[in-house]
Amino acid sequence: MLSYAIRRMLILIPMLIVISFFIYSGLELMPGDAVSYMIDPEAAAELAPEKLDALRDSLGLNDPFILRYFKWFGGVLKGDFGYSLSSGVPIRDIVFDRLPATLELSFIALVLSTMFGSILGFISAIRKGSIADNTLTVVGMLGVSVPQFVFGLVAILIFALKLKWLPVGGRLMPEYITYWDRFPHIIMPALVLAATMTAGVMRYSRSSMLDSMNKEYIKTARSKGLPEWRVNLVHGFRVALTPVIVLVGFRLPTLIGGAVVIEQIFQWPGIGNEFITAVRGQNFPLVMMIALFSVFAVLIASFLVDLFTAILDPRVKLG
Amino acid sequence: MGKLRLFLISCLMVTMAMGLWAGGQPEAETKTETKIEGLNSNPLSDYRVRQAIAYAVDMDTIAETLLEGKALVADSMVPNGPWKTPGLNAYSYNPEMAKQLLKEADWDANYTLDVVFYYGDQLTVDIMTAVQAYLSAVGVKMDFRKLEGDLGEQLWTNPSDPVNGPSYIKWDMAYAGSAALAMHEYYGKLPTNGPGNSHTPSDPEIDRLVAATKATANIVDQQNAFFELQKYVNKNLPLIPLYYQQLFIYESTRVNRNGGAYGNAQYKYDWNILNWSVTPDVSGKEVLYTNTAPVEFFQHPWFNPGIFMYSKVLFDSLLVADEALVAKEGQLASKFSVANDGMSISFTMNDAEWHDGSALTVEDVKWSVEYALQVPAIHSVFSTTFKSLEGAQAFIDGSADGISGLVIDGNTITFNFAKLDPNMMLTFSQFPPLPKKYFETADPLQFQQNSFWQNPVGSGPYKVQEVQMNDYTVMVPFESYYGGTPSIDEIVMYPSGENDGNVIKNASAGKLDYGFTKSVADVKSLEAMSNMRVTPVDIPYTRLFYVNKFPKP
Repeated sequence: MLSYAIRRMLILIPMLIVISFFIYSGLELMPGDAVSYMIDPEAAAELAPEKLDALRDSLGLNDPFILRYFKWFGGVLKGDFGYSLSSGVPIRDIVFDRLPATLELSFIALVLSTMFGSILGFISAIRKGSIADNTLTVVGMLGVSVPQFVFGLVAILIFALKLKWLPVGGRLMPEYITYWDRFPHIIMPALVLAATMTAGVMRYSRSSMLDSMNKEYIKTARSKGLPEWRVNLVHGFRVALTPVIVLVGFRLPTLIGGAVVIEQIFQWPGIGNEFITAVRGQNFPLVMMIALFSVFAVLIASFLVDLFTAILDPRVKLG
Repeated sequence: MGKLRLFLISCLMVTMAMGLWAGGQPEAETKTETKIEGLNSNPLSDYRVRQAIAYAVDMDTIAETLLEGKALVADSMVPNGPWKTPGLNAYSYNPEMAKQLLKEADWDANYTLDVVFYYGDQLTVDIMTAVQAYLSAVGVKMDFRKLEGDLGEQLWTNPSDPVNGPSYIKWDMAYAGSAALAMHEYYGKLPTNGPGNSHTPSDPEIDRLVAATKATANIVDQQNAFFELQKYVNKNLPLIPLYYQQLFIYESTRVNRNGGAYGNAQYKYDWNILNWSVTPDVSGKEVLYTNTAPVEFFQHPWFNPGIFMYSKVLFDSLLVADEALVAKEGQLASKFSVANDGMSISFTMNDAEWHDGSALTVEDVKWSVEYALQVPAIHSVFSTTFKSLEGAQAFIDGSADGISGLVIDGNTITFNFAKLDPNMMLTFSQFPPLPKKYFETADPLQFQQNSFWQNPVGSGPYKVQEVQMNDYTVMVPFESYYGGTPSIDEIVMYPSGENDGNVIKNASAGKLDYGFTKSVADVKSLEAMSNMRVTPVDIPYTRLFYVNKFPKP
């Protein structure tokens, strides 16, 4: 197990290098650069080209592509994540400022969706063909099909604008002191995000449970006279959870970048919003660091999924 | 919404078809004998083609339908008011006249106009679709596309030969906007080698007329010069004005301006902010909620002096303008005097302080002007004023340490000009000095990236109390403000750019007390809210087609 873990961690390094190079190359293919984004097109005519060129020079944008990549990568190796091209703020500060907001939102949504999705999927499977199953199937399909922004806007309309129970958006306000002061702000975005994620987990959990219930070991358990709840929960649900864990594991990276739409609708000041702004502005040091965090999260998630699968399913061997 | 737009475009088509069916008599005054100067291989170099395009597009219908009556049809770059000459040809919708002019110009029906734009909104696409249909109806094919990447280069690169071209740019027409602080900006792209003149071959008459507008500081003489220029442009259409965009100031019913004027909210003017009041909350505090708080940094005010709320209340200028942006009295200057020939102006500073408690001095003013000339992007009206100072060129070249035309005497600073700048008063009413000590060792090229812009120190009636970047910004009255203490206790700003996508949501929730927008869709929704009032303001913002008249490469 330990040697497997070390091997997997070592493989991460070349993968990160290669992926970062591809992302950097992708950014290079975009038309324009950070300076062309900074200057309003209607005003650009009035600015002397030599001044813009000097600005590009000062930001290092006139260097050849490969040189820029290695300068950036060299900085990362030394722990220097660089500075935002638009504001001059250290990227470390931006990431650590925005990341907690996104983690807070996504973590709550992930926990809720995993919990409710697994339980509802389980109920749906063991009550297959019942009204509850059909209802949950329809709800699940709706949850998968309806875009997040529709859920978000409907929720704002009902709970913020009509009923006035919850704030329309934002995360912090000047008068807030404790976490509970700002708690009402997270209820709607977290529940909307969780609702759309729950649908997927529920559908996955249901089909996995149905599959599991048709296995020989379930029949064996029943033939041994075990109570039905024990058959379902201990023998069926435990094994059925394996693919669900895989799904949830692969959703871990969404903790960083998966709530972009929700962040925009609910004015949630997270890293997803920042990423979109940085890509539009071709703020490549910032894009690269957020992308690198996301890639790292995906690779780690994949590693964790393998570990948990082996723990949950005795048939799986690591090696 | 999609269906509504489809319906509006259908209405346009029907109107257009009816116009074609009804025909129309050519207007006698447009049968001009103008000699076709500068005609080249580009069909758009023929003024008759440009006139035909103007006649072919029914801007009245577009303004009424797609723009929902929230825009005025333009017959000049200059907006309606004292600076516009009467009697201009409005090029009202006349497809028969368009066809006739195209026939006279021997228009090649196989030629397809390449029209570009850079706005990302649906309205622009709808307008382009309508224009395409109108032009098609008179036999002109048109494609349109959105530009991406380095827009400045693709739109405004001058050709190496300003007389014969060929053009560097690839397009035939560019749909754009011109938001002017000074009237001179409207025609700045037309003269030979003018900055951004990517499209108009050298025309001595334009050069002469534009130069005449800058040759005097006398307002009446300036107006007359503009009138002549407008007449020439109106006849030859080197640019095709389309419509004047309005600005809409929205306020909640909680706000009382107490007589404060409504003006061009994109710039600074005397809007009586010290006396504004807001219905107090339960604790008795007057809190004004607004938008445009910084997302990542405060934008410096030397490029956009007043577009963001914080720029307006954080930084004062030497002079203050009225709602028409005409400088009316001193602000940071307790008194000022202008030489009769307009070639120098002196300011005596009041006892203003920076928000950190230090004194705002004439040294700060001098440093600000010199530093601004080294910053990559400042407003063109400011840079024109400062470049007109005595010794400015030597300073820019690096052959002088300072601008010799800036003379300090005690608490007075005098600006001596080498050449007349008709917009210097405008500059001094919009350009705010900044505190020298925070930038002394800073690279001017990275001015905007300076840490100062994370929590700026200003000179205006409000100071920054708290910044949670991308969450909110709180501003409170500056206790030592020379002009008195504002009535509103706190300004809470939500983060947004100039265009706030959350206006309707926040206004509906009662969390937005003030702001402005140019979005027609937002205005319709705001007008329908009982807790909001909307005030339209005519601003100098003209949407137009730039027309490339150089031979294409």
